[in-house]
Formats: sequence, structure tokens, C-alpha cells
Amino acid sequence: MTIVVEGIIKKYGRNPVLRGLTFSARPGDITLLVGPNGAGKSTIMKVLAGLIHPDGGSARIDQADIIKERIRAQHFLSYLPQSPSFHPRMTCAEILRFYARLRGVAFSRYEAVFELAGLRDFERVRTGEFSGGTRQRLGLALLLLPDAPVLLLDEPGLSLDPGWRKRLQETLRFEAGRGKSVLVTTHLIAEWNKIAHRCLLCREGQIERELDPSNLPQNFDETESAGRDAPERSTTDEPRLSIVH
Amino acid sequence: MNRAFPLFTDAGPVRAVLLREFRDALINRYFQVFAALSFLGGVAAIIFSEDANSVPVLILQVALYFVSLFALLAGASSAQAERDEWEMLFAQPVSRAAYVVGKFVAYLSIFAAVLLLLFLPGLVNGASRLAILYLQTLLLAAVFLALGLTAGFLAHDRAQALIIGVSAWLLLLFGIDFIALFAARWELTQKFPDLWVSFLMLNPLDSFRIEALFSLEQIPAEAANKTPLASWWIAHAAVWFSFSAATWSAVFITLSGLRLSRWED
Repeated sequence: MTIVVEGIIKKYGRNPVLRGLTFSARPGDITLLVGPNGAGKSTIMKVLAGLIHPDGGSARIDQADIIKERIRAQHFLSYLPQSPSFHPRMTCAEILRFYARLRGVAFSRYEAVFELAGLRDFERVRTGEFSGGTRQRLGLALLLLPDAPVLLLDEPGLSLDPGWRKRLQETLRFEAGRGKSVLVTTHLIAEWNKIAHRCLLCREGQIERELDPSNLPQNFDETESAGRDAPERSTTDEPRLSIVH
Repeated sequence: MNRAFPLFTDAGPVRAVLLREFRDALINRYFQVFAALSFLGGVAAIIFSEDANSVPVLILQVALYFVSLFALLAGASSAQAERDEWEMLFAQPVSRAAYVVGKFVAYLSIFAAVLLLLFLPGLVNGASRLAILYLQTLLLAAVFLALGLTAGFLAHDRAQALIIGVSAWLLLLFGIDFIALFAARWELTQKFPDLWVSFLMLNPLDSFRIEALFSLEQIPAEAANKTPLASWWIAHAAVWFSFSAATWSAVFITLSGLRLSRWED
């Protein structure tokens, strides 16, 4: 299913965050949305997930308008927030069972995502006791649980160790290979080099240009040196858009 | 039909919310304390009553102060329980009203069970009027549970939810009566006494007090037969309280639903 975003406008008070944002994401592709802090990446993800009502424009998943037919459109998507949180008194298994019931998911799939996310040891542990990485893995399990044709991931893997980040990318490649539309916002550009199929540079609430996904660090550096602040390097030598202002 | 009323046609999500809320209520500390105190209150009413007739009067006091407060705290606590999860939760294809209704139904069902601990010791002694008082107390719990949910959903954090909830409880328990006390001297209320009566009738706690007192104490209706509205109220106290409790519960549930439907991260 194709994600189509046309002229989305969103203001917080007088502050415009999205200024007519327009793009599309095709089935079978991992589409990256990169950009500095405040570019509007997370806001557009929340619009697409049905969490924010935009002030103008339209956003569709296939033929379902996320603004006018929120619940119908949400049937087609699965969303992983930047910092997934869960009811602290519920155990990992209870959370997964709840979302499985909510989305009418078969028990066999529930078992499969449990294994995939490596959560078997945490089955009876309350989520209030989880580390950030384990919460992300539970979030990943919930993302894959409904087998939705559209996957939205906002800054995935920030709390995951490198091994799990690689596994996350492999999983998303596999899901895209099954014909799903995968839309990802990220700061860790280099990690997605040659993994993403498309990369859109978002700045000041608009798509500025499309970058070559096979050479993302260089593309990003060229973009930044063409009249913009140079990015600082993180300790892991990842080009991180989050610190570009 | 399906699009307009997804809450009533999507049974799966509502069932999911109900099961989760049952589980949450069982491990909610307010409920655990409430269950223990309910049982102790029921036993204490037997021990400290001079005769079987005074048991309902003692339990009435417990219901008025203790059940209303715990229902409110449980509602506020439940509304705030997974606030950090809303971003994940509301991205699911489920009506947000389903969460409110699920919480309300699950918690009220558990209240119905826990309240038996308060009333059962008295029922064993043959105080049959307690059965009616039990139903009235459950209705009162419904109002304060719904009020607690509204306070919890309106607030930004747990502390704020408790402040809003307890303030509303104090207003209904004492504030309205104090206002009525002062208003009784006003020229307007002297001229139109039914206005003053209707002010009290709107308060679910006053409706509960009047209904319970007049049914338990068997006070003759003439005792309060000062105005046409007052005499109607006394004559139909049970009907009015049931209607008032159901209406207030519905109002608070609707407010909670509206609050959630407008929530943006």
C-alpha cells in the first residue's frame, strides 16, 4: 500500500512545524525520512499514525484518508514510537496478548513475534522493570504483530545495541521484500546506507530533496556543506542529524 | 452503522480492553486496600451496632465517605495508569471511547464484587434492607468512578489527577451543602424555595443521602414536605437518585471520551 502525503500543514500555536509537506512511500521500499531536529519528521509520523490532526493537507494509506477515516486507515498500519512505553504493572506477555486481541491476531503469530524479538526470558516480567532496549524490542514485537502492510518507525533502535539494530534492519528489509511500505525516520544515517531504498531530506517542515540511498554519509555531508552547519560527529563516528541545527 | 458506532460493532477490541482492565483492577493497590477495608467495615458495623436495624445506618456512613472516595481514587488512578502508552495505544484501529467504556465497566464490575465484602456480614444477620442499600451504593460508586476517570484523563499527571478528583469530592461532600446553607438566607431562595431544593437535588451525594436516610430511617415524607419539589423528591427519592446517578455517570463518561478523542501527542 502506498503512503501519500500531500501539502500537510501543522502548527503548534504560531509555530509552523509542517509547511505543506508532500511525499509518497511505495510498497516494497524502505523509505528514510532524515533531517535535523525540528524538521517535522516525528510530527509527520504522528499524523500518519492518526495521533495528530493536521491543520491542512491530506494523508492517505492506499485509499484510506488517515484524517477523515482514522480507524479504517489505522487497520493498514503499525507504528513504533520513538520511546515506546507500556502499562508498568503489566507483564510483557500481558501487553502482547492485549495488542493481539485488539488487532485480532492469531496466536501463532503472537508466538512468532515473541521469539523474533527475543522476549521469552521477559515473559512474566512487568514492563515497568524493563530497560530502554527491552522496551524497544517489545515495541518491535508489537510493530510486527498485526502483519500490517504499512510500517511506520520513528527513530527506531536508538536504545538497541548494535546487534539488535542490525537485526531490526534485516527484519525491515525482509518485510519490505514482502511488499510492505516501510517508512523510517532516523538520525543514524550511516547505518541505513545501502539498506534503505529511498531517502528524503526533510527540513523546516518540507521535503528539501531526495538523497542517493547507496551513499548516504557522503550525500548527507555534501548537503550539509552546501551552505548549512556541519554536523558534529558522535562518539561512534555516526553522522547524526539530531545535532545539526 | 459500523463506521458511526465502531465501539458497539467491534466486540474484539472492547473485550481486549475489558480483560486488560480486569487484570489491572485486580493488581491496583487502591482496590486491594479497598477490599480489605470493606471487609473490616462490614464486620465493624456488626460489632458496633446496638441492634440489627442500626447496621444499615452505620454502613450508610461508610458508603457515603469511604466508597465514594475510593471509587474516585480508583478511577483517577486507572485513567493515569498507562498515560505514557497512549501514543502506542491510540495508533491502534480502535475507537478511543472503547478504552473509557472498558475501564468503567471493568472497574464497576469489580466494585460490585468488592462491595459484597462490606455488605455480606450485615446480610448474614438478616438485615434485608442492606440489599437495597448495596444497589444504591453501587450506583454511587459508578458516579464517583466516572468522575475519577474524568479527573484522570483531564490531568497531566497522577498528582494533578488526585488534586482535581479530591477537590471535586470535597465540593460534592461538603462544599455544595455549605453553599446551600448560605444560599438559604438569600432573598431569591426565600422567594423561590424550589430553586434551592433543585440545587441540592443535582448533587449525587445529597440525592444518595436523602434516598438512603428516608428509606432506612423510615422518616415520614411530611417531615420535608415544605415545597412541591421537595415533596416530589422525597416521594420519589429512589427513582431520582437512580436517574441522577445514571445521568452523572453518563456525563462523566462522555466527557472522558471527548477528552481522549481530542488528545494529541
